[in-house]
Amino acid sequence: MMSETKKFLKSFLYLIAGIIISLIALFILFPKLYEIASYITIHGLLATLLLTALGLISGFALGITLALMRIYGATELRWLASGYEKLLRGIPILVLIYIFLYGTPGLFFYIDLRYRPIAGVVLALGLRSAAYQSQIFRGAILSVSSGQIEAARALGMTVSQSFRHIVMPQALRLALPAWTNEYAVVIKDSSFAYGVGIVEMTKAGYDFGVAFRELWAVSLGVVTILYFIFTFPITRLFGEYQNKKLKKLGMGGGS
Amino acid sequence: MFYQIPEPIEDILLVFSYWDHILSGFILTMWLYAWAILIGFILGLILSILRQYGGKILKIISTSYIELMRGTPLLAQLLFLYYLPTSLNLPTPDWAVVSNFSLFDKNFNIIFLNHRTMVGIIALGLNSAAYQAEYFRGSFMSVGTGQLLAAQSLGMSKFEGIRHIILPQALRRVIPSWSNEAAYLPKYTIVVYFISVQELFAEAHYIVSFTYLSLTTYVIIAIIFLVLISIISKGLDVLYNRLKIPGL
Amino acid sequence: MDEYVLRVNDIWKSYDDLEVLKGVSFELKRQEVKVIFGPSGSGKSTLLRCINLLDPPQKGEIYLSGLNLMGEHVDLNEARSKIGMVFQHFNLFTHLKAIDNISIALRRVKKLTKEEANRKALEALERVKLAKWADHYPAQLSGGQQQRVGIARALAMDPEVILFDEPTSALDPELIGEVLQVMLDLAKSGTTMVVVTHELGFARAVASEMIFLGEGIVIERGTPDHFFTSPKSERVQQFLKQLTILYGTHEKLLEQGD
Repeated sequence: MMSETKKFLKSFLYLIAGIIISLIALFILFPKLYEIASYITIHGLLATLLLTALGLISGFALGITLALMRIYGATELRWLASGYEKLLRGIPILVLIYIFLYGTPGLFFYIDLRYRPIAGVVLALGLRSAAYQSQIFRGAILSVSSGQIEAARALGMTVSQSFRHIVMPQALRLALPAWTNEYAVVIKDSSFAYGVGIVEMTKAGYDFGVAFRELWAVSLGVVTILYFIFTFPITRLFGEYQNKKLKKLGMGGGS
Repeated sequence: MFYQIPEPIEDILLVFSYWDHILSGFILTMWLYAWAILIGFILGLILSILRQYGGKILKIISTSYIELMRGTPLLAQLLFLYYLPTSLNLPTPDWAVVSNFSLFDKNFNIIFLNHRTMVGIIALGLNSAAYQAEYFRGSFMSVGTGQLLAAQSLGMSKFEGIRHIILPQALRRVIPSWSNEAAYLPKYTIVVYFISVQELFAEAHYIVSFTYLSLTTYVIIAIIFLVLISIISKGLDVLYNRLKIPGL
Repeated sequence: MDEYVLRVNDIWKSYDDLEVLKGVSFELKRQEVKVIFGPSGSGKSTLLRCINLLDPPQKGEIYLSGLNLMGEHVDLNEARSKIGMVFQHFNLFTHLKAIDNISIALRRVKKLTKEEANRKALEALERVKLAKWADHYPAQLSGGQQQRVGIARALAMDPEVILFDEPTSALDPELIGEVLQVMLDLAKSGTTMVVVTHELGFARAVASEMIFLGEGIVIERGTPDHFFTSPKSERVQQFLKQLTILYGTHEKLLEQGD
């Protein structure tokens, strides 16, 4: 059992090492690439990560609430949560951003003008992500086998105790693969902030191209690779690896 | 808070007075969507077959493509493709396939194909292929390797086995999850707005520039997308129920 | 009433339109072992879930050491901590090690300190002969071992009575023995038990009374001798005949290991 985990981690580390080495080689061969990459990183990376983090966190808070509403709530609450999910999944993220930034200009009156675009994008990202995270957590909570909840109650634990100590620890672990996928989605969607004047990675790459036209495509290519570095290792590590680990512990896909 | 509170009904009617723009944008959105799904389907199927049943090199190539396209934003991919000719100092030919027609006294001038729309279609197709490939892969895995082995032991080549045994089952099984991708793809056609293709979102912009009714317009557009996606979703559900393999 | 640990009085339970229990009553004194058996669908598992009120009955009363569990102001959670339950599918907490499976309720429900809880948990594991496996996760244990952990988990709470819901039905045949042995030891050391099972050898060895449940009512009850020598109703005779065909050789195994 140990060797399987070791094998996977090994191949994963080789992958990361391979990526880093090829990146270094590329930068040495084409110094321009390094210039581009550093420009994009300096000007855009922070914004991208900030938007992603804030969007995910707000999505998490609302998403868990919606999931609980759907599982344990009264019929009206369930209907509300379900309707919310359907609504937010069907609207393009860019339209959502524009609605908040240009359709309701008074919404962020208390926020400094410079930060309003960020607030708008974060709100849009968060609301959208909540719809998907709600699904993820709902599935995870439901797949903790009901027999264990029964056992907890039979031992005398209250509903909230059995939820906090038995259901949630397992649900969070079960949700991890899907959740890292959601992280990848949000960081990709953050690229739409490009359209509202926020300088995140994609806009930074574009701006570089405006200044150096022959390098336009290259610059955007570098942007793409940068996004890839932030999504692939994480989804790989926490996606498949977690699934394998869960299967060993006998969790995942309840009984 | 909003500068349009007093007459919401009037506003809605005003936006709909631009119905010709909305319709033209919608047509173009559907056009892009149809091509994206089609290209995505064919390419995605090929990619997933290569990934699942191909030799080592093919496996690596297809997996790399899929992971790369899925791990990076559609917008960045689109812009990369769009500015590729500029970087290579290639001229962008100025051509167009246009459709002119009149409906209820309004003239329609829809550009179905030009340099920009084509780049958009290609980008959407290439991106969707990667996502669809993942759905197909899951479906192949659920059919299992046993049946392919049985086919080969009967004398069929791998290709024949895939074509006659695996695919018919895999394609039917994939419909529920595939309809997820299919139903929500229209959302992503919006990216082409950034390369000046006049699809629905771009037309919404146009309307806002004349009416200043941003909230109303964008909400209407959002609702149009919602309705469109719901219809496609329901339609695919019905299709699945007709095609289901009994007992599965 | 205080001499009875458990009094089940005229229990009626239905799900929507389906009546599952139609007036079941029995009582249990300290250190007694009662075995409930009968055809599937007769409501045996439902009865157990009514007793610890996981699934309350529509009509009837449950008395635990004289306390009416269905009365007002009764802390159900506290009551449940005094009734142990062992499940057919073990229902261990898969994210916790064996020892933690046992100690978590001791800490959260009985409010013991971590050291006390661990000590009691280890004791319980020793009683079921699994002390060496304390740090293993359920998935790393065989079915028989998992069920023994389940028994230890119930034991550690020092309950007044332990309910067993077909504890060996989900086990591979060669693993049944180890669980039955633990249950036999428990019975002999004076644990008060209500066991729903088909293991008639077990019943014959330690049951003070056997209750045959069919279609929601008690069809016959009596000592094991009564059932195995001269059962009255034909239903019971039929049922026993079918069981001995299945379990015949197994009974002998059990008697050997006694």
